[in-house]
Amino acid sequence: MSASRIALALIALFSCATFVPAQSMFRGDPAHSGTYSGQGPRQFHRVKWKFPTGDRIVSSPVCQDKALYFGSDDGNIYAVEAETGRQIWKRPTGGPAPSTPAVANGTVYAGSYDGKFYALNALTGAIRWKFATEGERRFEARGIHGLEPKNQTMADQYDIFLSSPVVVQGAVYFGSGDGHLYALDAASGELKWKFQTGDVVHASPAYANGVLYVGSWDSFFYAVDAMTGKEKWRFHGGEDPLIHNQVGFQSSAAVVDGVVYVGCRDSNLYALDAATGQEKWRFNNEMSWVITSPAVTHGQVIFGTSDSSLYHVLDAVTGKSVQRQQDKAYLFSSPTVVGDVVLIGVLNGTLEARDLKSGEVLWEFQTEASKQNKGWVLTSDRKFNGPMFYYSSWREAPIVATERQFGVGGIFSSPLVVNDVVYFGSTDGNLYALE
Amino acid sequence: MRLLTTIFFASAVLGQAAESAAGRWEGSAQIPGGELKLVIDLSQDSGKGWIGSIIVPGFGVKGAPLTDITVKDSEVAFTLKGALGNERAGQAKLKAHLTADSHLAGDFLQGGNSAPFVLGKTGPPQVELPPRNTAVSKELEGEWKGEYELTGYTRHVTMKFANRGVDGASVECVIIGKKTNNVPVSLVTQEGDFLSLKSDEFGITYEGRFRNETGEIKGTFTQGPFELPLVMHRAP
Repeated sequence: MSASRIALALIALFSCATFVPAQSMFRGDPAHSGTYSGQGPRQFHRVKWKFPTGDRIVSSPVCQDKALYFGSDDGNIYAVEAETGRQIWKRPTGGPAPSTPAVANGTVYAGSYDGKFYALNALTGAIRWKFATEGERRFEARGIHGLEPKNQTMADQYDIFLSSPVVVQGAVYFGSGDGHLYALDAASGELKWKFQTGDVVHASPAYANGVLYVGSWDSFFYAVDAMTGKEKWRFHGGEDPLIHNQVGFQSSAAVVDGVVYVGCRDSNLYALDAATGQEKWRFNNEMSWVITSPAVTHGQVIFGTSDSSLYHVLDAVTGKSVQRQQDKAYLFSSPTVVGDVVLIGVLNGTLEARDLKSGEVLWEFQTEASKQNKGWVLTSDRKFNGPMFYYSSWREAPIVATERQFGVGGIFSSPLVVNDVVYFGSTDGNLYALE
Repeated sequence: MRLLTTIFFASAVLGQAAESAAGRWEGSAQIPGGELKLVIDLSQDSGKGWIGSIIVPGFGVKGAPLTDITVKDSEVAFTLKGALGNERAGQAKLKAHLTADSHLAGDFLQGGNSAPFVLGKTGPPQVELPPRNTAVSKELEGEWKGEYELTGYTRHVTMKFANRGVDGASVECVIIGKKTNNVPVSLVTQEGDFLSLKSDEFGITYEGRFRNETGEIKGTFTQGPFELPLVMHRAP
């Protein structure tokens, strides 16, 4: 072997050795703490690359062995080289794929709006097995959010995510629009059990100590034995029989030190005892939804709100406010904590990096679509400009309005940081890599 | 001598045009009421001439192949295959030229409409090649028969699998209902015991698992909204 070849081999070996592996499921680990090891990116230098897809990306990227995996609403599950942004493979599904994949033992697991759950070869994208649920659907209700005509059943235009799977001890668990929490054998796709809730389950189950924790749009939050599928306890969140606006669990829970932290559309952030379901405390957000899945670190709970657009840090033990920052637009993207930096996406098409301690914005990145501000969906200071896009509550107008609202490169995706590079998807259809 | 010089310059200009056309091009076409974002990848393949693919964000189009690609001097033209077109609207086309300031400018033609576009080069090409057939296992080679019921009629299905070396497997698929349909299979793949067939022309897929213990392929036939169980047995 020539000296130059040896040098190249050493460089390759070194680059493999320094590559931080395995951010391989939604929120980083089965308990969904949203906290990652390593240094947080305190500065933004440039867009390393962007990878365009055919439709918006709501899914969050995960990383395994130098490859990023994510879904797009163009119906494909993608594998992309983390370093270059080059496509490794894509696997078409039969519908939009706003679920975040999980990767384990060389298999990528992801759900799709076609009502199927996929297990794909992580190297090639070939289908290993496919499981048919009883079908996907969005949460729906009569006169939802005050839409007119009020006797018409309409789908909730803000039910944007699909449940992301968690893989533990040879089983894969996920929720479905058919109202079930499913447990499948990770190797064969055979059904182990399914647990019936009263409505759509689009939150992602968290796992800790043999128990799965997940909320449903039926207004209940459940703890289910992972082995048997038997209910251990349930917790009742708020209800809203009038306009169905303040009901349901869309947020995914984080389970840390025996406590379950979960946001709810009833505008509360709850802390529940993981063993009993007993409420420890609640933090009310005055009619503003908590869609984000909280991140829990250093005895603090970090989350964002929708309409009030507040970034909150609470004491994990008492639930008292430690910090509160006013953001410019809705927060649906779940915060990611890396070192002393918190990354969070905003629906106005901005990605923010905040200092964990002070909450100060260290840097921000604005997507091209946000800068273009088509149809003046945003005000000049990047708040939502309601009068310019939401002009009627009647019939299809709210759906059109929401599409326009999401058209400014909004960020639903939860950011991922690997080797100081920040990855996230946008409604402009791009997966971004920032450094 | 003059002829040689002319040939030299002509080939140099052609080579330059070819080099200039290759790359990832991004920009938008201005259609009434908005813009249509376009990401186009063009590259020269030593064996096949020009190859290309297109992404249209917001339209669910990712990596659709380009056909009939011509690059002549500074003129570039191609057709979109399987994207933004149908029987009524026809196939969408782009006709463009390389400008002096290194842009690709021209007209986007779709459904009898025309819209101007300008694209800038943003990097090397990332042409997406269409998926290829894989070989099928020995157990699957040969003829299989099965049936399914749709709208009250039984349809009889025959599939014949044969391996074709580097081209992977080929499949002859015939569905007999009220009439006989020879279904052109655009893609066949097998990973482990999971078999998948697709016909772009008929909008049909068949996905199933080969069960060694029963010697059957147990799967699902899909056409549009219809999903039906279809078990294939080795033909006697």
